[in-house]
Amino acid sequence: MMDHEQALRLVYETIDIVNQQLPASKRLHKSPNTVIIGPGGALDSLGVVTFVITLEDKVGEAVGASVQLLERDMLGDSSPLQTVGALTEFVAAQHP
Amino acid sequence: MSHAERLYFIADFNIESLARYVANSALVGAETSVAPLGPVMSSLAAGPPSPGWSAVVWTRPDTVVENFRRALAFEPFNQDEALDEVRTYATAILQFASRARYVLLPTWVVAPFERGWGMLDWRPGIGITQLLARMNLALTDALRDHPSVFQLDAARWMAAAGPRGWSQKLWYATKSPFAPAVIEQAAADIAAAVDGIAGRGRRVVIVDLDDVLWGGLVGEVGWTGLNLGGHDHVGEAFADFQRGLKGLAARGVQLAIVSRNDEAAAFEAIDRHPEMQLRRDDFAAWRINWQDKAQNVADLLAELNLGPESAVFIDDSAIERGRVGEAIPGILVPDWPDDPTRFREALSSLRCFDSPTLTAEDRRRTTMFAAERARRSGLAAAANLEDWLQTLDVRMSVEPLSIGNLDRATQLFNKTNQMTIATRRLTRTELEAWAATPGHSMLTFRVADRFGDSGLTGIAGLRFEGGQAHLVDFLWSCRVAGRNVEDAMLHVAVARCRAQRASTLRVEVIPTARNKPCADFFERSGLGRVADNVFAWDASQPYRCPAWVTVTDHAGVVTESDVQS
Repeated sequence: MMDHEQALRLVYETIDIVNQQLPASKRLHKSPNTVIIGPGGALDSLGVVTFVITLEDKVGEAVGASVQLLERDMLGDSSPLQTVGALTEFVAAQHP
Repeated sequence: MSHAERLYFIADFNIESLARYVANSALVGAETSVAPLGPVMSSLAAGPPSPGWSAVVWTRPDTVVENFRRALAFEPFNQDEALDEVRTYATAILQFASRARYVLLPTWVVAPFERGWGMLDWRPGIGITQLLARMNLALTDALRDHPSVFQLDAARWMAAAGPRGWSQKLWYATKSPFAPAVIEQAAADIAAAVDGIAGRGRRVVIVDLDDVLWGGLVGEVGWTGLNLGGHDHVGEAFADFQRGLKGLAARGVQLAIVSRNDEAAAFEAIDRHPEMQLRRDDFAAWRINWQDKAQNVADLLAELNLGPESAVFIDDSAIERGRVGEAIPGILVPDWPDDPTRFREALSSLRCFDSPTLTAEDRRRTTMFAAERARRSGLAAAANLEDWLQTLDVRMSVEPLSIGNLDRATQLFNKTNQMTIATRRLTRTELEAWAATPGHSMLTFRVADRFGDSGLTGIAGLRFEGGQAHLVDFLWSCRVAGRNVEDAMLHVAVARCRAQRASTLRVEVIPTARNKPCADFFERSGLGRVADNVFAWDASQPYRCPAWVTVTDHAGVVTESDVQS
C-alpha cells in the first residue's frame, strides 16, 4: 500500500539518483510538472530506462514485492510516465 | 573543484552512465569520451583519442576470456589457456597504457546471483569463482611493473551497493548491468584515483578529542573516567577508531589535534591511558586550548605548512564542523555519525587519501613528525635563528633522478603546492621521459639533520638551451622548510649550469593561489629580477650555499670552484 506522499518521495529520490548523471543545467526539478518522457524532457532513452528501473527497485522495496513499470506502452506518447505528477499518481494507484 | 582531466572510457558493455556520472558529479569539469561499443581489443589497439588522455578500461571476464565464458556456461575449460588469454589482454592494456597518461582498470566481477558450482566453486580446475580469482591475480601479476596502470576493486563496489547493484533488467534493456548504486561507487573510486594521481590527496587529519578519540569529557571525568577500549562496545569502538587513524598514519597521512580542552589533562590521557592506541608521538601538531577552533585549525595548518585543501577535520559537534567548514574554504569536513560504533567505518569510507605510490618516506612519516617537533622545540630555546641552524648539522645529498627515487620524486612533484615554481603535474612515466630528454637535467635532493632523515625532499629540473639554463621545476617539501635547504638547492642548480657552461640561469615563477612562499624566496634570493616573476643569475658566479648545510654530491654537479666562492 502506498499513498501519494510516499509515491512522490520515491519519485524524488529517483530524481536525485538520476540527476547525478546529468549536467547541472539539465537536472530534473523535483516538481510535479517536470517532464520525464516526451518533448522538453532532459532524459535520453538510457536515462529514461535507468530512471524507471531505479524507481521500480524503490517502489518494490517499499511495498515488499516485485514491481514492473518498464513496459513497452509505458515509454510511448501516452505514457503515464510523462511528468513527475502523472508518474506519482500512477505509482500510488498501482499500490492502493 | 574544477578538473581538467580527460578520461576515455573503454568497455564491452554500455559504460555511458559511468562516464556521465564522472563528468557531472564525481569529477565536475572532466572531459570524458566513450569508445564505440564493440570489441575492446580494437579500442585498445586504436589508443586514446589523443596524447594526454587517461582511460578507464572496464571489461566483462566472459567476453575477454573465452575459457571463462565456457566455465560460466558449465562447459569444459582449460585453466592454463584462460590465464594465457588474460596475459594477452594484459599485453594489449600495456600497449594502450604506453600511449595514455594512466589507465584505471576495474577488476573482473560476475553477477552476484551466479553461484557457479556451489560448494565446488572454489575447487581448482572446476569452480568459476576460483578461476575468476586466478584471472584477476594473473592480470595483477602481468601489470605489476607498469606504474601507470591501477586496478580498482569492482567487487567492493558490488558489495557496497548490495544485492540490487547488479540488474539483469538493466542489462537486457541498456546493455549495462550496473545499477546507479554501483556506478556511484565506481565513479567515487575513479575520482579518488584521479585526485591521488594529481596530488590532491589529503595529507593531514585533524581530530577532536572528547567523544571522538575517547568517550567522555576528560576535563570533567579525568583520564581514568574515559570510555576507551575495555569490555564496553562503545569503548571498543573508540579504540578501533584510533587504530584506523594509526593505519592512516602508516600510509603517510599526518594526524593532528584541535580540541577545546585543558592541554595538560588531555595529554595525561594520551600519555597514560592504557587503552590509547595513539600516543603523543603519533601527532604532528596540536592546538588544545579554549580558543576558536577555526582559528586553531588555521594556525595548525600554518605550522605544518599545509593548505586547507590538504586537510580533513573530524569533530563530533555539527556546530564546530559548520564553523570550521565555513571559515576555512577547501578543508574537507565530513558529516560525522553520532554513533561511535560507526566512526571507524566513516573514517575508512573517506576517499581522499589515495596515492599512486607508497614510498619509504611515507612509512617513516611518524618518526619524522617527532623529529620536526624536536627541531621546533630547539628553535624556541635558541638565542637566534642562525645559532639554531648551525646546531642542526643539515646534510643535503644530491642525486640524479633514477629508478630508485622515481616513485618518491613523482609523489613530491604532484603533491607540492606551495614551494614550487611551476606546479607541474606529471605521471611517473612523464617525469622519467622529461628527465631523459636531451638537454634536460633533473636533480633530486635528500635532506637529513641531527634529528633525523627527511628523505627526498627537493627537486630541480633544468633545461639547457642556446647557452642558457632554464629552471623549469624547483620544488621542495614543507617538511624541510625553515632550514634554508632551498638556498642549497639553488646553489647546486647554479653549479650544474656552470658545469654545462651555461651563461645564465633563468627562473620563471608561475604564480598560483598557493605558491607565494616560493615566489617570496626568489624575491629575496639575490637573483636579478628581469620581469614580473622572472629572475636570472649570472652563472659565471656560484650561488652561495648556506654555511650550515653540507652538500654531498652524487650527481657530479658541484665542483671545488662552486664551494669555495
